[in-house]
Amino acid sequence: MTPGSLVLSNVRVHRGGRTVLQIDNLKVPPGDFVGIVGPNGAGKTTLLKVCAGLVKPTGGSVWMEGLDLTRLGAWRKCELRQHIGYIPQVAEYNAELPFTLREVVAMGRTSIRPLLTALKAEDREVVDHWIDTVGLGDRRNQTFRSLSGGEQQKALIARAMAQDPRILMLDEACANLDFDWKYQISEMVERLYRQNQITVLMVSHETSVLPHTCGRVVLLAGGRILADGGVEDVLSPNKLNGAYHGGLRVADIGGRKYIVSVSRSLEAGGTS
Amino acid sequence: MDPFFYLVILAGAIAGASCGLLGVYIVGLRLPFVGIFISHAAMAGTIFSYLLGLSPIWGPVVVSAVTAASLAAIRPERSRMDPNVALAILFSLMLGLTFLGMGLMQGSRSEVLGLLWGSILFVQSKSVFVIGVAAAAFVVFALAFNKELKVLLFSRTIAAATGVHETFVYSLFLALCGIILAVNLPLVGGLMIFSLITSPAAAAYQICRGHRAVVAASTGFGVISAVGGFVFSYYFNLPTGACTVLASTVLFALAVAWRALAGKAD
Repeated sequence: MTPGSLVLSNVRVHRGGRTVLQIDNLKVPPGDFVGIVGPNGAGKTTLLKVCAGLVKPTGGSVWMEGLDLTRLGAWRKCELRQHIGYIPQVAEYNAELPFTLREVVAMGRTSIRPLLTALKAEDREVVDHWIDTVGLGDRRNQTFRSLSGGEQQKALIARAMAQDPRILMLDEACANLDFDWKYQISEMVERLYRQNQITVLMVSHETSVLPHTCGRVVLLAGGRILADGGVEDVLSPNKLNGAYHGGLRVADIGGRKYIVSVSRSLEAGGTS
Repeated sequence: MDPFFYLVILAGAIAGASCGLLGVYIVGLRLPFVGIFISHAAMAGTIFSYLLGLSPIWGPVVVSAVTAASLAAIRPERSRMDPNVALAILFSLMLGLTFLGMGLMQGSRSEVLGLLWGSILFVQSKSVFVIGVAAAAFVVFALAFNKELKVLLFSRTIAAATGVHETFVYSLFLALCGIILAVNLPLVGGLMIFSLITSPAAAAYQICRGHRAVVAASTGFGVISAVGGFVFSYYFNLPTGACTVLASTVLFALAVAWRALAGKAD
């Protein structure tokens, strides 16, 4: 019953007659920062959704803080998931609705307040605090849809943090952003992780956006865990070549790991 | 003036307000097919209630509330079928049942045809009372679950992942949606009630900033469309549904034009 812990055991997800996820054992102790990487279709998002109770596994258990998410009733499941800050992929929220930034961030306070009650002044303070923290203080009354992609991502992070989460789950939070925004978002997640005692699960197909504090990387391929361990260990050409189709090199620039695909002609010594 | 005229105005205002408010959620949740499906379920329910000699109010209300709430079982992330495709098939089923029911009907069908087009002949103090109660119930619901509904509108994935009582609120919403559609159906018409739900809300989403403004504008646009349509229908003896829908479409066009002229509303 440790706050912020997550344990998956024997989790299987079948879809359309094939196994899309098969996790025998994955333990995330509280306060871990886990990067989940792998090629397209590796099961990264499915894994995150299983952890958040959005996808019910065909078999196995998902223990969050000592309770099995797959076997809880609807009401208890809601109570437990109040502690999950979730940042979905772009397609999973209606960015075109005219909600103001404040309204979007205030959504983070919804599940931690009981049904049939309105948000209080104290909630509004928390909302404003997080808007300021992510640096959007001058935009609070603007609509969410008028913000740029990077600003929207910051707003979603503020929304998740306003919830006072124990586990923060990010699904490709840096996708579709230019390199400058990618690192702004990455550094922001790092800062939040350092300043707040939370567990972070960060799904990304780009290893370079995993911040320095990400101490552990889970490499998925074909729905299975190919490697799980320290950054240096997992993000090595040997391990990566097992997940992708070979010809990869890893460049370390300022502590961030960039995967570079090296074409055969280059490997043979040619130039381009 | 004719007291019936005032009743017509009142009926128009209530029907417009409740459909306009309902539309905020139907449009915002990207559920246009749910609106079409439920309105046809209500129509099938109404016709079979006539056929079976059931109460013309409770029959359709129960049928559409139950079918609507059962839609909550369609989970986009769990089914491999696009929910809109599933709904299109269910919608065809309801349309088939409606016309089968009409075929089975003996004697005059004019009253039932009125259900398709909408008619102010259905405006009676009793029916106005019924739509008033349904509208009040929906307003209470929208106020009581305002904070949950906003998260649902923004993202059902976020709502579910972060422990908002999403399934509960969504099922309740669908059931109330069925009730609102069923009771307003005879006035506005089964083929056209859907427009009274979508156009005012779509117009409001075009020009408003913030959820509260959307709710107010959509409700207001609904009232203007329906009262306008009902009064027009009263004076010129035209189908109420057609007049109402045309009024709401004009409002939508004005909103789009206003947004284009005034620049971004944000």
